[in-house]
Amino acid sequence: MDLSALASCLITPSCVITQTTSGLIIGLLLFLVAAGVSLIFGVLKVVNFAHGAFYMLGAYFAYTAYQLSGNYLIAVLAGGIGVGLFGLVFERLLISRVYGSPVLMQLLVCYGAILILDDLVKIIWGADFLSFGMPSAFQQLPFVFAGGVVPVFYLFLIVVALAIAGLLGLLISKTRYGKIVRAAAVNPSMVSALGINTGVVYASVFVLGGFLAGLAGGLAAPVRSLTAGMGTSIIIESFIVTVIGGMGSVAGALVGSILIGLVRSFGTIGFPLFTEGLMFVLMAVVLVLKPSGLFGKGGA
Amino acid sequence: MMRSSLLRDSLIAIAVFAVLALLPFVVQGKGFTDFMVRLAAFGIFATSLNLLVGYAGMESFGHGLFFGLGCYSFGLIMQTFPVSIPVAFLATVALSIVVGTVVGAICVRLNEIYFAFVTLAFQMLLHSLIIAWTPITGGDQGLTGGIPRPPFLGIRLDDYYHLYLFSTGLLVASLLAMYHIVQSPFGYTLRMIRDNAARAPFLGINVFRVRLMAYVIAGAFGAIGGMIMSLFVSGAFPDFAYWTISGEAIFMIMLGGITVFLGPMVGAVMLLLLNDFVTKMTSHYGLVLGIVILLFALGLRKGLMDFAADLWRDRQTASGPRPDTAAKAVTSAPARAGE
Amino acid sequence: MTKRAPIGVGRRSVLKGTAAVAAASTIGFPFVSKAQNKPIKVGMVTVLSGRVAILGSASQKGAQLEIDAFNAAGGLGGRPIELIVRDSKAKPEEAARIAREFINSEGCEILLDADTSAAAFAIQEIARETGILTIHTNSETSSLTADPKLHVPTAFRSARQGIHDAIAGGSYAAEVSKAKKLNRWMGCSPDYAYGRDSNKLFFEYLKRFHKDAEVIGESWPKLFQPDYTEQLTKILQSKPQAVYSCLWGGDLTAFIDQSSIYNLFAQTEVFAINIADYAVLTAIKNLPKGIHSGSRYLATFPPTKENADWSAGYRTKFKEYPLNWSWENAAGTKFVLEALKKTNSTDSKKLAEAISGASISVPYGVDGKLTMRAGDNTLINYPTGWGQTIQKDPFVPDVKSVDWKMILDLETEWKKTMKYI
Repeated sequence: MDLSALASCLITPSCVITQTTSGLIIGLLLFLVAAGVSLIFGVLKVVNFAHGAFYMLGAYFAYTAYQLSGNYLIAVLAGGIGVGLFGLVFERLLISRVYGSPVLMQLLVCYGAILILDDLVKIIWGADFLSFGMPSAFQQLPFVFAGGVVPVFYLFLIVVALAIAGLLGLLISKTRYGKIVRAAAVNPSMVSALGINTGVVYASVFVLGGFLAGLAGGLAAPVRSLTAGMGTSIIIESFIVTVIGGMGSVAGALVGSILIGLVRSFGTIGFPLFTEGLMFVLMAVVLVLKPSGLFGKGGA
Repeated sequence: MMRSSLLRDSLIAIAVFAVLALLPFVVQGKGFTDFMVRLAAFGIFATSLNLLVGYAGMESFGHGLFFGLGCYSFGLIMQTFPVSIPVAFLATVALSIVVGTVVGAICVRLNEIYFAFVTLAFQMLLHSLIIAWTPITGGDQGLTGGIPRPPFLGIRLDDYYHLYLFSTGLLVASLLAMYHIVQSPFGYTLRMIRDNAARAPFLGINVFRVRLMAYVIAGAFGAIGGMIMSLFVSGAFPDFAYWTISGEAIFMIMLGGITVFLGPMVGAVMLLLLNDFVTKMTSHYGLVLGIVILLFALGLRKGLMDFAADLWRDRQTASGPRPDTAAKAVTSAPARAGE
Repeated sequence: MTKRAPIGVGRRSVLKGTAAVAAASTIGFPFVSKAQNKPIKVGMVTVLSGRVAILGSASQKGAQLEIDAFNAAGGLGGRPIELIVRDSKAKPEEAARIAREFINSEGCEILLDADTSAAAFAIQEIARETGILTIHTNSETSSLTADPKLHVPTAFRSARQGIHDAIAGGSYAAEVSKAKKLNRWMGCSPDYAYGRDSNKLFFEYLKRFHKDAEVIGESWPKLFQPDYTEQLTKILQSKPQAVYSCLWGGDLTAFIDQSSIYNLFAQTEVFAINIADYAVLTAIKNLPKGIHSGSRYLATFPPTKENADWSAGYRTKFKEYPLNWSWENAAGTKFVLEALKKTNSTDSKKLAEAISGASISVPYGVDGKLTMRAGDNTLINYPTGWGQTIQKDPFVPDVKSVDWKMILDLETEWKKTMKYI
């Protein structure tokens, strides 16, 4: 533990700026995955443990698209759309068959899918770790604000992720689709009685969740190493975020993600060896004090 | 009546153990005894998890807390103190009861998915602790240098046949004990709370206390599974406290079935055999195991023993065609959770 | 896709063998002469799935290369070697199980442990229990062989060792630091046993050779952490003159890619011990110039024709670059094969006696040789040196080798401070 280092960081503007943007970038990429987990749980009551594998697929789809096109924008969209479509197949083929089954049975199905996907990735893309390479547009010197350092690429990621968060918020709160989704989360039989096909709603939520995870995979690909099983580390953090923010709440996922990002970026200065433990402590505390999470409604 | 059924079950258990003791003379090779020792560890562990999941309706994601605790506590005691194996064994069970009481007091107030996640959080805390506390636990390398096995009561655990007898003996005894717990009035109280937690208090049941007791009992048995595992690998590894170990127990009970007492044992046999067979036959372990798991999960949509039990019941009652479960499930799922 | 093809026993000879068995059994003769051609089974425990699948893929190829050559030359008096490879999924208990399965069910007479360090300790206990000849081909954790409490007479290590690399790295870094006046250092190594050991020992030897060096901070990413932003910003805040990292594999490529966009390499000298391995060098799209790295495996180091040929042969055969794990496993296998030839026996004790203290001639050794030191059963005299990266092949053109005499002297001293001797 190094509390004096933490204290001295907190009173230095350059340190605060650098660590805050660092927390934001970690948090916002996490948000794109966690938002999908949270939405799927909120509407379908399914804990999608395979969401980390979605993120992995997004990165690999983007990798191949980038190899073929050399265009980063196309690569990211390929990641998002590819995994969105994959989410549809996944929901129709697997998850739709275990709606209403115990959560542990859903877990088993997701686990089976993860095993298959990780192995398929190894078969298709090889056992080597792959590196995407930084698109030339972003190969620039980082910005410096008041002594704080922010890479151009990260600034881009922050803007894009915030824009996606905003659009997602609008989609859920303002559109007809959003109303249906929210209604389906609360009372699906009523939605169904109104003549809306709940099956289509459920499938669409998986497509949306898959799209977001795929985007996250594609967006992060230039700075992360691609390996089979890369989804594992992100899925556990996504669950922590979902629990802290409140399961089913997109706003909660955003706040939870940024919180985790900040805990990690400042935690590494104050508690370099226990940042992981810190996140689990946070999760346990939230669960005990307010099980439904910071933004969740009602108690357990 | 209780006593006579205990007597009957004990006799069955002794008979089963006698058969098990003779088996290595029929099935040659240490491959078999190795398998049975692992089966004992995972069988006890999975069955203890099912006390929570199947009987109490408490879906724990963090049961590996006790498996890891059992491994490390037993290994550390044997490496540090000059005590006999039974003493380390009892001390570990006692420790797991203490930890179970403290953690359980925090966790069992929560329901459903929240209970699942808070148990996961505590397990991962233990894991973080094991990793961080290197001088004691050996960090990510685990307890190295082997676990001493001084002979006791003529039992020498460095002999594979003795280890086999010891492990299968513990397995049979643990199963007998757990069976009696679920058949006792306490076991029926658990089922009542599982089916209708809101009604139980009106019958004078302290739901918190009953659930806590279930959690502590399951934890103690989980630790016994961990101890057998630490003897098998002659050490302890952080993996034993990682969430994946809880996952394995969950897969065992889901594959084998949660409504039949021996379902988790069947699941443990299935998953271990599958693992060993698939690892042996192919380097595409994930692909093959994943497909088998999906076929089971989507084909039966319940554990093997659950399926068999339902089939049996259907035959007995010879009822009409079963309702289309798929259609029913889609509409009932969100409705249930929306309550 | 079982990895158990007895290479060298062609399809034809197998067919012939089966025909002979069939003939013998129809006559009712016990088939004796076949037993002499029964393959010698070698079991390899490694990781073939998940994030370190590349470990298993390279390890298997390294061992296979030697075994194929051995079988092609007639095996051990007609008995070919059969390599059986199984995936532990990076779980120590599964590694232990597979090792026991090899011995108890498959009839393996020799174990190759090509797994991660934690699994190596589990397999060491099986070697102790069963007395089977075991070669740890990948674990670099020093205590595995240095700690006499863990010693098993029939177990050896044919891999690099953390303490050797730390001494080599520390002395090289000290020289660079003195010349460039690099005094303010930081560490950024993965938070697990190997990372902590490597970090601690590197700085110990750096300070020993360069008195003005000072460690102003350390950051500890998790193993397989996808994102190093918080560690990088911490480094930028502290403004060190040099950074040491023993991240490896995919973690290292991500770290380098992320460091690039923070422009870290323009601000500090980076010493990353595990860069000079082709899996890393070829994966990074824009490899920064001037990173200091230890040699893992390079076709140009040792700078001999034999080594370059070996690398080229490996690439032709497997359509991949050889990695550090490739030569470590090739070497481990070679020690076993030489011992088999020498003793003409598969008895673990006899083999172990033959391996202990033995030297083998290999293209990737120092002066064409590698030595298995008697006493602590570990590999010495393997190529170890440091150099700086350039963007293209040969990637690290000018590797300065580190003197083994100094390494061994300091190692002895270290063992004394650890109370190992």
